[in-house]
Amino acid sequence: MTELAFDVRDVDYRYNQVAALNALSMCVKRGERVALLGANGSGKSTLLRLLAGLCFPDRGEISFLGESLTEQRLQQEEFFFAFRRRVGLVFQNADVQLFNTSVFDELAFGPLQLRWPAGKIRARVAEVLESMDIAHLQDRAPHRLSGGEKKRVALASVLVLDPEVLLLDEPSAALDPSSQARIVDFLVSCGKGAKTVIVATHDMDTLEDIADRCYVFANGKVAGAGTPLEILHDVELLERAKLIHPHAHVHRHGEGAVQPHPHVHRHEGD
Amino acid sequence: MHIPDGYLSPSTCAALAAAAAPFWYVALRRVKSALHARLIPLISLFAAFSFVVMMFNLPLPGGTTGHAVGMGVASIVLGPWASILAISIALTIQAVFFGDGGITALGANCFNMAIAGSLVGYAMYRLIAWRAALGSTRRVVAAGLAGYTAINVAALCAAVEFGIQPLLFHDASGTPLYAPYPLRIAIPAMMLGHLTLAGLAELVISSGMVAYLQRTDPGLLRQTAPDAPAFSEPVRSPRDARPLPTARKLWLGLAALLVLTPLGILAVGGAWGEWNAQDFSDPQARREIAAASRNQAPPTAAPRGLERLSSLWTAPLSRYAPSFIRSASFGYLVSAMVGVGLIVALALLLNWLLALRPPAAGRLRRKGFVEKTARGLVEATGQALFAEDMAVAGGFLQGLDPRVKLIGIGALIAAAVTVHRLGVLAGILALGVVLALFSHIPMRLLAARVWLAVLAFTGAIALPAIFLTPGAAIWRIPWLAWPVTQQGLRSAGFLILRGETAATLSALLILSTLWTRLLRALRYFRAPVVLVAILGMTYRYMFLFLAAARDMFESRESRMVGELRPADRRRLAAASAGVLLGKTLQVSGEVHMAMQARGFRGEIRLLDELQMRANDWLRLAAFVGAATLAIWLGR
Repeated sequence: MTELAFDVRDVDYRYNQVAALNALSMCVKRGERVALLGANGSGKSTLLRLLAGLCFPDRGEISFLGESLTEQRLQQEEFFFAFRRRVGLVFQNADVQLFNTSVFDELAFGPLQLRWPAGKIRARVAEVLESMDIAHLQDRAPHRLSGGEKKRVALASVLVLDPEVLLLDEPSAALDPSSQARIVDFLVSCGKGAKTVIVATHDMDTLEDIADRCYVFANGKVAGAGTPLEILHDVELLERAKLIHPHAHVHRHGEGAVQPHPHVHRHEGD
Repeated sequence: MHIPDGYLSPSTCAALAAAAAPFWYVALRRVKSALHARLIPLISLFAAFSFVVMMFNLPLPGGTTGHAVGMGVASIVLGPWASILAISIALTIQAVFFGDGGITALGANCFNMAIAGSLVGYAMYRLIAWRAALGSTRRVVAAGLAGYTAINVAALCAAVEFGIQPLLFHDASGTPLYAPYPLRIAIPAMMLGHLTLAGLAELVISSGMVAYLQRTDPGLLRQTAPDAPAFSEPVRSPRDARPLPTARKLWLGLAALLVLTPLGILAVGGAWGEWNAQDFSDPQARREIAAASRNQAPPTAAPRGLERLSSLWTAPLSRYAPSFIRSASFGYLVSAMVGVGLIVALALLLNWLLALRPPAAGRLRRKGFVEKTARGLVEATGQALFAEDMAVAGGFLQGLDPRVKLIGIGALIAAAVTVHRLGVLAGILALGVVLALFSHIPMRLLAARVWLAVLAFTGAIALPAIFLTPGAAIWRIPWLAWPVTQQGLRSAGFLILRGETAATLSALLILSTLWTRLLRALRYFRAPVVLVAILGMTYRYMFLFLAAARDMFESRESRMVGELRPADRRRLAAASAGVLLGKTLQVSGEVHMAMQARGFRGEIRLLDELQMRANDWLRLAAFVGAATLAIWLGR
C-alpha cells in the first residue's frame, strides 16, 4: 500500500494574525506511523487540527486519500460522516475531549452522531471498554477520573469508531510512567500497517518504538524528516528545533548510540 | 435573591414559569439552528463559569464583600438570548445540585434573574455604550451600570412577587400563607440590600471584566457591539492612569442611577400600593381578589400593618411637613435614601473600627477575600463530591430509579408548597425524615446543613411578620406595645415550616441521586436533547472551573505578602474572573472542535434510556399518592 493517506502541499495557516504554519508540505502514506516532533508552539497541534478537518488552510491544499479536504466538501453530509468515521483525533487536553457526563456516554457519543443503531452502539462500546481495560469506569463522571484514566477514556472514545487514521496530540504528556507505558504499548500495537497513526510528541525516548518516520517542526515549517534513527542522530537539527538542550539530552547506548560530541559540562563517567 | 421554596404560592410559580417559557423557547430555537452549533458548548461553559463566579467574594467599598450573579457580563459577551439560557442553566444547577433557590420557585428565579436581568442588562449596556469604541472607558462604565441595573430590576421583580403574596393568598382568618409582607414592605426591604451590596458586587464584576477583556481579547466584545469602531486610540498598557478616570465616571454614573432608582421604585410600589388600599374597600375588586384566592373572602378592612408601616417612615416628619411629604410614596423615597445612607455609614464605621485593630489582624483581614473565596470554592467542590459519594452508597432512595425520585420528591415538595394546614406540613416533613433514615443520610448533616441554615435565614425573615401581620392580637410586648397577632404567628409558622420541609426534601434528592444517570434518564420524558446536553456539559465543566478558580486564588494567596488597596483587591477579583472567562471561551472553542471531530454537526443525539419497569411505576404511584393525599388533607 503506497497510496497517500494525507498529502499536505504548501499550506499557510494564521491564527489571530499570527502565522502558525508557513508554506508547510508533508505527506503520510497509508498504514504508516508518523511522529511530528517540535517544541511547544511549533505548529504540530495546528497541523493535526487541519488534518482532522476542524480548521482549513488559508493557502495551499490538503488531500485525504486523494480527495481534497475543504470546508465545502465537509459540509456535504455523506463525505462528513465518511471522513469522521475514518479519521479520529485525540486532543492533547483530555478535559476538552471528555465533555459528556459519564464514561459510557463519552464512548457512545461518536457512534450516536454517526447514527449507528442503538444495539450496535451498546455492543461496540462494551467491546472497547473491555479492550481498553476501563469497563469498571463506565458509570464514572470524567471529573472523578485520574489523569491516566482520562487519557485512556479519551483514546477509547475515538477508537470506538475504529478509524483507519488516528491523530494523537501529545498522548503521553504529563502522565505517570505506568500510564505512559500503556499508551506507548498501544501505539506499538498499531504497527505493521494496521492503522495510519500520526503522533505529535516531544518524547524522544520512545520514538523508535512508535514511529516509522518523523517530521521535525520549527516555526510552522518542516525543518527535517527521516526515520527515527536518522533524526535522533541529527543533534544539530534537534537543537535547532529546540527539542534538546546542550545541557540535557538523552544518551543512547548500544545500537544507534549518538556520536561522541563535546559537552559544555562533564557528565558522570565521561 | 434566590427565592426558596415556600415563599411563593404554586400558582405564582406556575405563572412565572409560564411567562419564562416563551423566552426559553425562542432562546433554544436560536441555539438549535445549525448556524449556532458553536453555541451549545459556549452556553454550557458560560453557565459553569457564572456558577463559579457567583462564589467569588467581591470586596466592596467599606470593607464588606458581596456576590454577583453575572447576568451583566453574560448578556454583554453572549448577547441577551444565549445569556438567558446560560443563567437559567446556572440557576437550575444551583437549585438541584446545591439546594440554593427553590425547585418550585425555579421558574420565578429564572424569570427574575435570567430573563428580566439579561434583557435589561443588555438594553442598558447597548444604550449607554452606544457606538463607543470597543476599547473605550465608556464601555466599562456602561457594563458596570448594566450589571447594577440588571440585578436591581431582578430584585424588584422578586420584591413584587413577594409583595402580592399576602394580598392574594391567605386563609379565612387572614393569615398570609406564603411570603407575609405586602408590597410596601417587600419592595423597600429587597431594594435596600440590592441597591447597595449586591448591586455593587455586580457593578464591580461587570465593569472589571469588560475592562479586562478590552486589554486581553477585545474581539469578545464585538458580538454585542456590531457598529463600534475597533479602537479610538492606541491600546494603553494595563497599569496606565486609566483606572482613576474610569472609577470616577463609574461612581458618577452610579450616583445618577441611585438618584433615579428610588423614583422608579416609587412609581411601581406606589401604584401597587394604591391598588391594595382601594381594592379592600371596593366591592368589585374584592370579588376579583376573592376569586383569585380560591373564593376565600379577603379581610374587610385594609391591612392595618401596611398603614402602620408607611406611617413609620414618615412619622418623624409628619408634624411639620407639607402633605405630599406625608404620603406613603414619599415614605419609600425617604426610606430608600435613608437606608442607603445608613448602610454606607455603618460600613464606614466598621471599616474605621477594624482599622484600629493591631496590624497583624489588619493584614489578615485584607487577605480575607482571597482566602474566603478559595475556601468557598473548595467547599463547593467538596460538597458536590460528597453528594456523589452518598448517592452511590446503599439505601432506599439511592436504589430508586432517578426519574421516580425526581418526580416523587418533586411532587412532595409541590405538596409542601400547596397545603394550607400546619399539621399536614409537619407530616410531610416527618415523611422526609423517615426517608432520610431509610437512606442512611446522617441526621446531623441534615440538622446542620438544612434545618439550622433554613431556620437562620427564613426565621430572620419571618420574625417581623409576627408583629406586622394585621389580625387578632394575642399578646403585646411590654413597653413597646407591639402586638403579636395570631395570624402573624401562623404566617411565620407557614413560612418556616414550608422552608424546612422543601429544603429537607431537596437535600434528600441531592444526596441520593447520581446526576449523570438522571440526566441520561431525563430523555425518557422527552426533555429537549439540547437542554439535557447543555445541562450535562455545564455540570461537567463546573468542576473544571471550580478547580481552575481554586488554583488561581490559592496561588495568589501564596504570593501575597504586602497589603492591597481596596481598589486593587477589586481589580484582582475582576481580573481573576476575567482570566476564568478567557479559559471558559478557550475551552469552549476546543470542546466544539472535539465534538465536531467525533461527528457532531449541530444536532446532538443521545442514547434513549431503557423503559421504566412495573416496580418503578408502583413506587412512583406511591410517591404521587402520598403527595396527593397531603394536598387533599391540607386543602
